[in-house]
Order: sequence, then C-alpha cells, then structure tokens
Amino acid sequence: MAPFIPEGLVNPQLNLFFALILGIGFGYVLESAGFSSSRKLAGVFYGYDFVVLRVFFTAGITAMIGMLFLSYLGFIDMSLVYINPLYLWSALVGGAIMGVGFILGGYCPGTSIVAAVIGKIDAMLFILGALIGIFFFGHFYDTFEPIYSGKFLGNLLAYDSLGISRNLFAFIFTLVALLAFVFTQIIEDRVNKVEPDIKKQRPSYVLPALLLFLLAAIYLFLPGERHSSPGELSSRQLLAEMQNPERFLSPQEVSFRIMTRDKSMILIDVREPEDFQQYSLPGALNIPLNSLFERTWRNFLKENQAQLVFYGFGNSAAELAWSAAKRAGTKNIYILDGGLNNLFEYVFNTPIKDERSLNCEENFYQRFVLEARDYFKEGNAIEKAPERPQPVIQTVEIVGGAGGC
Amino acid sequence: MPDDMENKPKNYLNSYLAGFLLGLVLLAAYVITGRGLGASGTMKSVVIASVVTAAPEYAAKSPFYADFFTSGENPLLSWLVFLSLGVIIGGLVSGAAGQRMGLKMERGPRIKPATRAVFAIIGGALFGLGAQFGRGCTSGAALSGMAVLSSGGILTMMAIFATGYMVAWFFRKLWI
Repeated sequence: MAPFIPEGLVNPQLNLFFALILGIGFGYVLESAGFSSSRKLAGVFYGYDFVVLRVFFTAGITAMIGMLFLSYLGFIDMSLVYINPLYLWSALVGGAIMGVGFILGGYCPGTSIVAAVIGKIDAMLFILGALIGIFFFGHFYDTFEPIYSGKFLGNLLAYDSLGISRNLFAFIFTLVALLAFVFTQIIEDRVNKVEPDIKKQRPSYVLPALLLFLLAAIYLFLPGERHSSPGELSSRQLLAEMQNPERFLSPQEVSFRIMTRDKSMILIDVREPEDFQQYSLPGALNIPLNSLFERTWRNFLKENQAQLVFYGFGNSAAELAWSAAKRAGTKNIYILDGGLNNLFEYVFNTPIKDERSLNCEENFYQRFVLEARDYFKEGNAIEKAPERPQPVIQTVEIVGGAGGC
Repeated sequence: MPDDMENKPKNYLNSYLAGFLLGLVLLAAYVITGRGLGASGTMKSVVIASVVTAAPEYAAKSPFYADFFTSGENPLLSWLVFLSLGVIIGGLVSGAAGQRMGLKMERGPRIKPATRAVFAIIGGALFGLGAQFGRGCTSGAALSGMAVLSSGGILTMMAIFATGYMVAWFFRKLWI
C-alpha cells in the first residue's frame, strides 16, 4: 500500500503539494522545539541544553518504530523507500566536516531555515555560508570525487551491518536513547546548577517516550514470522501446496487451450529473453525467472485473475518461479508439466497409429495431436496469434522514493 | 545557563513531545512519498539554479552541474525545495505563535556580533560542504537515515556528533 506515491495510489503530481504540507509540519515542529536558537542547539555540545538530542532521537525512534510496524504489517513496501546509500569515506568525512560546522555555525541546514525566517541574522549568514560551501564542493568536485564516490558499500541497513536481527537492533537503539535522555538530563541539571525537579517533568510529556519504549519492547517479542506483504504464505503452507499434483497442467491440456484461444489462461515463459525470442508459445509473456519480482510483474501477479501457467524448457525453472510466486501469495498459478520439451515431445513425437486400430476415444486424441502438430508446426510457435493480443498490463515505471538532503 | 534571559517569550514545546511530532511528520513523509526529510538539498538546488543562470558556461564544464543539463528540469521545482518552502511557512507560523519573531544576532555571551557573523558563515560553509559528502545533512542523512535504519545515515550521524564533541572544547568561547 504505502508509500502511496511510488505505489501509484496518489497522483505523483501531488508530490510537490505533499512536500509543502510535510515541510510546514517539519518547520513548525523545529521552530516550536527551540531549534531556531543557535545557543540552544549548541547546548548539546556543552551540556547546558540537550534539546537537540531529545528531539532528534525521539523523532528518529518514533519514525523508526512506525516504519518497523508498518512493514511488519505489510503496509509499507520497504523496497520503494529511499535508503541512504553508504559510501564509507564520504559518509565519515562529510559527517566530520558537518560536526565542525555545527560547532562553529551553531545550526544545521534545516534549523538555519526556521531560524532565519524568524529573524535570526546569524542563521541568515549561516545559510549564505552553506551556499558558499556547496559551491566550493561543486568547484572542486573533480578533486573531491575519489572520496565522494569511494568505498560504496550499498544501501546497507544497520542491523545487517552489525549482524543482528532488526527487532533486537530497534530495541537496543531505543534503550540507548532512553538511557541517554536520563543521563543528559542529569548532566544538564548539573551544568545549569538547578535541582532536579520531578514536577517540572510533566508526566504527559514523558508518556510518548515511554510509549516508544513499550512499542520497541513489543516489537522485540513479536513472533518471528514476518510477512513482507499481506497474503504471503508461510513455509509450512508452501510445502503443502508444493505437494499438490494439481499444480501441473499436462501438455495436452495446455496445447488444447492454446489452440482454442482460451482467454482464461495466460502462459508465462520464465526463460531468458534470448530463448524467448527464438521461439515460444503463442501469446506467452516473457518473465525471466529473475525478473519475477520486479515491480511491474509483481503487481501483475498480485492482481491477476486468469490462470497463470509457468513454463521453461523443462520443469526446474518453472517450478522455481511457481514456488516463489506462490510464496508471495499469488493465486491461480500452474506449471506446464515437463515444459516446452515435453509439450513438443507430445505434439510432434506421439506415435501415430492407423485410425482403424483405435477406438473412438483414442481416435479423438489422435486427431487432436495431428491438429496440434499442424498448429505448432516448426517455426510457427513463435508467431503470436494475432487474435489473441497480449494481456494489457499496466507497466507504469515505478520509481522508489528518491532521497538525499 | 548564562544570561540569555533577555527575550522572555520562550514557551518552547516540550522536547519529547516535539520529537514525537517530528517523528510523525517524518513517518508521514515515508508513508506518503517514500522518502525522508531534508534541507541541504534545497540549498544545493539554489546554488545550481544560481550558477547555471549566472554562469552557464562555467556550469557546463563542471560535472557537479551535469545532472541539471541532462535532466533539463528546473532545480527549483524539486521536492526538497517545496519541502523547504513548507519549512519556511511552518517556521513563521510557529515563531509568530510563540512571539519569537524579530531581528537578532544570536551569540554566546563572550563574543562580539562580528565574531559570531564570521563564524556563522564559516560554520555554514563547512556544513554545506560536509552535507555534499554526507549526501545529506542532519535531517536528510542522520534523522531520515535513522528512521529507515540505514547504515550510511547512522554512520554520518555518529560522525557529526563525535566530531562535534571532539572540537567543542576548542571553540567553547563561542558559546559559553
């Protein structure tokens, strides 16, 4: 379902409108939290005001836990969400430069905008400086490029990097943040020489933080069977489905339905495009095995109404495709038993006997084979029957959320 | 805290509540658009738009501006620019509501306004430069990166704060 715009649920032209609305929320909260004051911001480095740490981590954890639950429930498709890429050197060098910039300038870019609009002159100068800094980067781009693009490690996720589970990482992260809240409050009170005042901390304000902790704890103990999309099968269900022989359709049935232009069946060729180009069955769609879960096909599979019949040369690739699609919750899927080889074997190599030696039923089958032979005669197979147009599939190019700051 | 009591109207939102709300805004950004928040991207767009307008020949030679020429899109019509327009509106509304509007050079108690001005520009320049390397600033890399548990974002965040604490002592006169 989510993210709405990349999934096509919300008109992409509204993207900028939502940016504006989200920005209003972002700016309002930043300013209300006191991020329009450089002295408050710098306080996090000198111990007299930890507002940055409190707001920053509460926000990060709120969003993190929200995302984890939404993806656990299969509501958000994380593959469409922008994950910051990790260029190791660049991330470290950039972070270090920004750290010094924070101390000297007292703002970061987002906070400098809200500070500047309420009249902070130092924030306006900070923005001017930032523009100069960006221009500087652009001017010496060739020099910086090796660092900027060096050591690309992919769009890594922190829990994978650490080799722990997502649940455990989220829990530890939340716990560390809550401990940091407590300790920084103690430090802050010492630095400002005020007596700790319990009453000052209105419980209603602490509730959100506690709620987050509770959610993180619940998340930690959620049963392990995570579903990345609704309707997905468990391994146990999949095993049962795989033992059901009804998932195979005989070459006889498939060739009959091809010849009668049965529209309730869609053939899916899981071989590579080169093989598909050479020859294929009439009307078949080519979804190479490794493209099965590309977005266009994934939606097609999900919303499919017809019977989908997978085939390859033999059974193995089609079975893999079938199992993967089944696991993802695709309904109404079958395998052409024995693949193309078996179908052609059936059509072209079924021995033809004298009609007179056959009974009525055998005769009927034999005539069908001959008819099929005619239909599928060598070289003809690739011709897509013109009366049977390719199913119209909405292949809207879906682009995941872009990112960057 | 030293003598910063001259402008009374503080009434800041409680930090945890503010953080919680900010987290919801960030979550909404991901749910609706699939991307997080950011701010330095807008500044980059401003730089690109200014340079390609003022000095198109210079820009055409630099790979930094190559995206502009290949995409042909107006850099000021980007998602992040609209986000920042919203930030301006939101900041104004909140500042007005909290009676915090007014021209002011905010500075530590021990430095002159001119000193503060110079350091604000230098700090801004460093932040602008660093945000290019970090592929995002505190919002785009650190905060948004944390929400999606990205190693890159979290590493950049740790680098920002670690360096900040390492150099804080040397520049303490600026603030305390």
